[in-house]
Amino acid sequence: MNKIIAVHSYKGGTGKTLFSVNLAATLAKSGKKVAIFDLDFRAPSLFAILKAENNGTWLNDYLNNTADINKVLVDLSGRLTGKGKFFVGLANPSTEAIRDMSAKDRKWEMRALGRLLALRESLVRDQNFDYLVFDTSPGLQYSSINAIVAADFVVVATTGDRSDVDGTKRMLQELYNLFEKKTGLVLNKVLDPSATAKKSEMSNKVKTVYHVPMLGIVPCFCEILRAEGNLIFVQDKPDHPFTKIIAEMARKIEANEVN
Amino acid sequence: MQNKSGLVAIRNDIRNELFAKKPLSVLEKIENSLERLNDKIEVMIEIQKTGNDNQRSSLKLPDASLDVMTLLSMPDHLRKTAMTICRCGRATAEEISQQTTRARAVESAYLNQLVIMGYLKKERKGRKAYFYIERETQS
Repeated sequence: MNKIIAVHSYKGGTGKTLFSVNLAATLAKSGKKVAIFDLDFRAPSLFAILKAENNGTWLNDYLNNTADINKVLVDLSGRLTGKGKFFVGLANPSTEAIRDMSAKDRKWEMRALGRLLALRESLVRDQNFDYLVFDTSPGLQYSSINAIVAADFVVVATTGDRSDVDGTKRMLQELYNLFEKKTGLVLNKVLDPSATAKKSEMSNKVKTVYHVPMLGIVPCFCEILRAEGNLIFVQDKPDHPFTKIIAEMARKIEANEVN
Repeated sequence: MQNKSGLVAIRNDIRNELFAKKPLSVLEKIENSLERLNDKIEVMIEIQKTGNDNQRSSLKLPDASLDVMTLLSMPDHLRKTAMTICRCGRATAEEISQQTTRARAVESAYLNQLVIMGYLKKERKGRKAYFYIERETQS
């Protein structure tokens, strides 16, 4: 069962956060109880994208073992239509907090992994959360690898950029393979508008190049750029092709059909 | 020498129990003793494998932590065991072997090796040996 989903990439700007937010929102809109977590402690962004106000208790505090996870989660269910529940765990965006998180040692990271693993019991088992979505920082950061280890399924977002393709390939072979993680690749910002027509061709190419199954293709949509991260796309534009693409990917993850 | 006197003590204990006609408890004691011996032998095998005393002491780091980067740098066979104990938090060799689908004795050897390397702690409760990661409370 894919209960905990981590969204990761090699390079920044591949669309991790956009994908995480919209995947979590799609699952919540379909009636599920979902929490999204900002694990990008070096460049927190969910507080700005979701314009969520919290009570001053951050995900940083949960990992530091100074706060309970229920104090951290902010209920944003009102932002979405449908009967689902939508919560967010925010990373502290202050410079001081970012500096503090960057200076953590191995021992702390080991305990942080324990705290992330414990969410399966506290939220999934005890509070009936259907899905936890971890939005991570790009590359081989401690916080991201912790999220990957704690997850059941990892979505890797990539673009066609040369620097990203090579790095992603290496990361999948040298990191994901070692952890034996179930992985699905999202090709984002695909320029060719007829890309969906060549889906099977692309899927085979992904398997040959990256040796992992493809979760889906997201074409480059100007409307997404124009929105400047100001909306939850799948909520505000229910008829947009992007919303349908994300819905299909959510269905595949739910049905465990990524192979 | 100490081991020998230990065994003599166990033998005397068993004799006393036999005279008291408690065959079941005697068998349990024998089984318990055999399990302890087995664990000790496994540790000795691992120590032999990892080399002489100097190498061993350099292996056992005082603050060895089982973080993700350490997991990545481990050989595949140990990583599998270490990953499983990371997820369980605390488990016996039997419980780990059920998840990795490898033999109990194999997991027991790998777990003991991780204890020697300083990544895990081992605690005996009755007849069972539990392995766990020490994640003490943070300030």
